[in-house]
Amino acid sequence: MSDQDLLPMSEENTVLTHEDPPRVHFEGSKKSAMETGRNRLLVTGMVVLLAFTVVGGRLITLATSSPDADKKFARATAKPNVAGRGEIVDRRGVILAASLPIASLYANPQGILDADEAADKLTEILPDLSREELLVKLRGKGQFVWLRRNLTPQQVYDINALGIPGVAFADGERRVFPHGRVASHLLGMTDVDGKGIAGVERYFDDALRNDGRRVQLSIDLRIQAILHQELTSVVARFNALGAAGVILDAETGEVTAMVSLPDYNPNDAGTLQGEAGFNRVTKGVYEMGSTFKLLTAAMALDSGKVSLQDRYDARKPIRIARFRITDYHGKNRWLSVPEILIYSSNIGAAKMAMDLGGKAQKAYLAKLGMLRQSAVELPEVGTPLSPARWRDINTMTISYGHGIAVTPLQMAAAIATVVNGGYYRPPTILKRDKPKPGGEIIHQIFSEKTSSQMRNLMRLVVSRGTGRKANVPGYKIGGKTGTAEKQGNGGYREKALISSFVAAFPIDAPRYVLLVLVDEPKGNKSTYYYATGGWVAAPTIGKLVQRIAPMIGIRPVLEGDKPKTSKPKISKRRRAPVKAAFVPFSTKSVERTGAR
Amino acid sequence: MRQTTMLFVLLAGALSLALFSVKYQVQDLEGELVDLNRSIKAEQQAVRVLKAEWSHLNNPDRLRGLAERHLGLDQVRPEQMQTLQNVSNKKGEATR
Repeated sequence: MSDQDLLPMSEENTVLTHEDPPRVHFEGSKKSAMETGRNRLLVTGMVVLLAFTVVGGRLITLATSSPDADKKFARATAKPNVAGRGEIVDRRGVILAASLPIASLYANPQGILDADEAADKLTEILPDLSREELLVKLRGKGQFVWLRRNLTPQQVYDINALGIPGVAFADGERRVFPHGRVASHLLGMTDVDGKGIAGVERYFDDALRNDGRRVQLSIDLRIQAILHQELTSVVARFNALGAAGVILDAETGEVTAMVSLPDYNPNDAGTLQGEAGFNRVTKGVYEMGSTFKLLTAAMALDSGKVSLQDRYDARKPIRIARFRITDYHGKNRWLSVPEILIYSSNIGAAKMAMDLGGKAQKAYLAKLGMLRQSAVELPEVGTPLSPARWRDINTMTISYGHGIAVTPLQMAAAIATVVNGGYYRPPTILKRDKPKPGGEIIHQIFSEKTSSQMRNLMRLVVSRGTGRKANVPGYKIGGKTGTAEKQGNGGYREKALISSFVAAFPIDAPRYVLLVLVDEPKGNKSTYYYATGGWVAAPTIGKLVQRIAPMIGIRPVLEGDKPKTSKPKISKRRRAPVKAAFVPFSTKSVERTGAR
Repeated sequence: MRQTTMLFVLLAGALSLALFSVKYQVQDLEGELVDLNRSIKAEQQAVRVLKAEWSHLNNPDRLRGLAERHLGLDQVRPEQMQTLQNVSNKKGEATR
């Protein structure tokens, strides 16, 4: 074909209809150029088609998807950002610490037009600000200066109404402790920037601050308040330096209440002075005194080396090394194992411990968690003091709670183990579930039989021994007194006592273990100037039980107090002298003695 | 040809109108959402304040003080507690 066929548009071509398109043919180089053009068009068309298909498909999926499917996109716009420091609540959900929104006032000194006027106006609304300091701040060189933190809504409104240029508000939050002092050491405090500096606030700072998590404690606020009140009153009555109290769930090891005095008001950092910040329950280590005899007896009975019928010669003090071990409530005769506890005989306890052996004693104490730091969830945890070399003299003094210093919390946990059937659970301040079979491994340290024997012995101490002042009508309390002399000036100080009482109730099936410890109580007229555990701490235990028991649904049993069977026999003849149990046995000539 | 063109022009017009109105609806809804979120936040803050206040007002020491002052209540004594069985045994007296 020639060029003439392509180009000249003849008359015939123009009248062609749609139905009959012109058929154009090319040859040679023209033909190949046309082919290339067509191919390019086809490829472009395909790409465009593909793009539209993708867009269309996406449209269909978006239109048909449910609103929940793409939560991550939805949340970006819909989340009302209220994250703040998490709450701390008690085991029943009562708020113990919360963060509340609050505005703080700041200024940009470069934006202040008239510093004098601004200072005048601001001091009118905030009279506690000093005008001079304010002027210095407002004339400063920087871009930002805090004027006042934590304003009330009314103050915010008033300052806004002034319309001072260069001052503005920053939203912040403030930590509030609605119950003030009641749980101060446990909760701890936050600093001005909302960072935990003590207690739970510090231990769980990361979770509370960064995740806004809510922390639920094992504390029951009602019981906590009762413990706080009773301890406050005992400290006041005996003019003591301080006191520690802990109530532990005997089965789960949960701390139901924990109070250390003196305390502070976490809402007011100014009250945190001197000893006030010291948590005696978890940080303080004390020589516990005679309450340790319960552990000695439990170990001795559990080992099988000592039985309830065994008797020990307590007629003469034990002389060992440069010490003499004597009895405070001296009987000067042979004592059975129950009598050793009832009369709180140091000689008897020491001899029992020697029968048990130092190695076994140390092993039991280790299993009870008494030789290392407690793993409780608080930053303030004390390290127990125990002898590096465990000699006979150590075994003897430890048997009645001297020569070893532990925290009150550890002591309570050990007693819980003694009374709950022998199962040790590390104490916790977090709410814990009841132990499930096959769950967490719980070590049984004492046999059920030992535990039952110990409960009966503890009941005897309260019903007719040194702990009689803890007895209250209707409730069966079992326990043990403890009185230890504080160390100082290279020896023990006879007048400076740590008086304590550890109890479990109801003693036939213990729900709670209570420990009250009073630091340097001064005896007064009502106690005939005694300041021992039996006079100071025991009555507090009775009061606590009387107030707590109705709250947790334990019914009083009033028809006489009859301990169940299997109680150790005590003949009438031996029972009689117990009345004189509170008369101190003279220890004047003794270089030093231990527990009473 | 002309009909097809007209059809598409109409369709395009209708669609753009629809798009226009939907867009404004979405804008309104977004504004509403922001308002709602703001008020949710305000309400949640208020709830936090009220919860803290509620906890404060329920302070056990405070309640005890109120009960002693206004109701003349005192601590429960063991002899005040009885079982339902004991109560129903005393005929007549129990109904009060």
